[in-house]
Amino acid sequence: MLEVKGAARTFYPGTSDERRALAGIDLTLTEGDFCVVIGSNGAGKSSLLNAIAGKLKLDHGSILIDGENVTRLPVHRRARFISRVFQDPMLGTAPTMTVAENMLLADLRGKTPRLVPGLTAERQALYRDRLAILNLGLEDRLDAPVGLLSGGQRQSLSLIMAVSNEPRLLLLDEHTAALDPKTAATVMDATIRAIAEFGLTVLMVTHNMSQALECGNRLIMMDSGHFQLQVATPEKDTLTVPDLIERFHVKSDRMLLQA
Amino acid sequence: MPDVLLSFINLIPVTIAQSLIVAFVVLGIMIPFRLLGFPDLTSEGAYPLGGCVTGVLIASGYDPVFAMAVAACAGFLAGSTTAFIHLRFGINTLLAGILVMTMLYSINLRIMGRTNIALFTFDSLFKDLNPANFNDPWFKIAVVGTLIAVILAALYYLLVTERGTTIRAVGASPDMAEAQGVSIWSATILGVGSASLFTALGGGIMVQSQGFADVNMGFGILINGLAALIIGEAITGRKTVLRQLLAPVAGALAYYQLVSLCLSLGLAPADLKLATGLFVLIMLALPALRRGGGVPQLKEKIRE
Repeated sequence: MLEVKGAARTFYPGTSDERRALAGIDLTLTEGDFCVVIGSNGAGKSSLLNAIAGKLKLDHGSILIDGENVTRLPVHRRARFISRVFQDPMLGTAPTMTVAENMLLADLRGKTPRLVPGLTAERQALYRDRLAILNLGLEDRLDAPVGLLSGGQRQSLSLIMAVSNEPRLLLLDEHTAALDPKTAATVMDATIRAIAEFGLTVLMVTHNMSQALECGNRLIMMDSGHFQLQVATPEKDTLTVPDLIERFHVKSDRMLLQA
Repeated sequence: MPDVLLSFINLIPVTIAQSLIVAFVVLGIMIPFRLLGFPDLTSEGAYPLGGCVTGVLIASGYDPVFAMAVAACAGFLAGSTTAFIHLRFGINTLLAGILVMTMLYSINLRIMGRTNIALFTFDSLFKDLNPANFNDPWFKIAVVGTLIAVILAALYYLLVTERGTTIRAVGASPDMAEAQGVSIWSATILGVGSASLFTALGGGIMVQSQGFADVNMGFGILINGLAALIIGEAITGRKTVLRQLLAPVAGALAYYQLVSLCLSLGLAPADLKLATGLFVLIMLALPALRRGGGVPQLKEKIRE
């Protein structure tokens, strides 16, 4: 359902700062794939996600979703297919708007908004049900501005927003990295449940190697804009963190620390 | 009762009428600033633009309502130009507004062909509705008050629709709005354009009320409008869309009474802009002063 063909992007070409973020990458995801991307800082993980979301323009290559070429579509036109949870809880939600309004925005993702009242009673009831799954009490705070929520609550809200209306492709950009370990575990648990429940196709970037081994059916390791390693189940299930570190010369201290 | 107070009280209705007209401008300042996160200076040029277009058309024998409609469209064009300059070239919103405002000064002069037009002898919205008593302040209050009430009701309805919610999202968090499929371009152009539409409409009504159009009528309107908005937000709060929408009207009403009071108490008109500027400065500085001590983080971040 997702096809990335020969995606290449170089930052600051022709200068001493030249850096190849994506060096001609091919990636195909089929329906229901849960693909985890790891790699050190600057390996190109975020560039890959940004390119798929439309935030980063490619020098070469193309991106197809469900066979449709979206390479030239801007971010908001790709929202029809893609939803995304950012690393920064502040980015994924609108702080001055209420929980219910944020849910409405996610609900309208990829649709043409109409000139009819947005937050109808039915919608509010639906959002209450959807939020109740989190067990964070958000369902009783529909009218509270999102800016008043904690980082963990906001990120959980972002997740519920991202999976509502079952996007064709879910992009998770280190979405638990900014949270404390306990909250991170809660959000990750909710993520895995949602992915399983809706059978979503997912591309997840993480720095956490044990997390990368635990979830998903595919694992990609990136280095300097290349795929250094690609494994899928069942081979992926036999990998351990020491394997990853030894066999693939992990350089990043941050990854080692989180292993 | 002392004379100064008497003269202030006598001026209350006239001042209310004036402030309801300026409320359109304050609305035009509030929408980009508060709903779109787009601090905009276009109003300093869009307000006289609306006045000049309306003045010229009325003086040429056109119907006042038609003249105001054309003025409103011209205002929309001015605001959307500012939005376009920011979106297309990445120029800071304030600078884009200054560019448009400066260019509008020449355009306004070209439209009128001279620096002012007297309109006393021509048709006006007020004369059309009430030929016998068109200059009665209470009558003006009724007309302009009704107009702004209708506009606020329509805006409130629009802002809580699906479409309106997506537009507000662009102001609240552009990254999030974009990721949810909202076009930042169309929301910004539509929003900033409509804001200048209201500002120009205010200019168009003002020239009919005061009986003349002048290219310099916009001078200082922005800081007056900002002062009014700040007072209004102190009165109504900003918690809900409705309160945010009512702030311009409440603020304009309170601000112009305050100015009138100061003038009747002996403030020299020449010092008015200094006083207004200091007032806005103090109101904006208060949060930082309350936190005490150190230099604060810039709170109103300007979109790059």
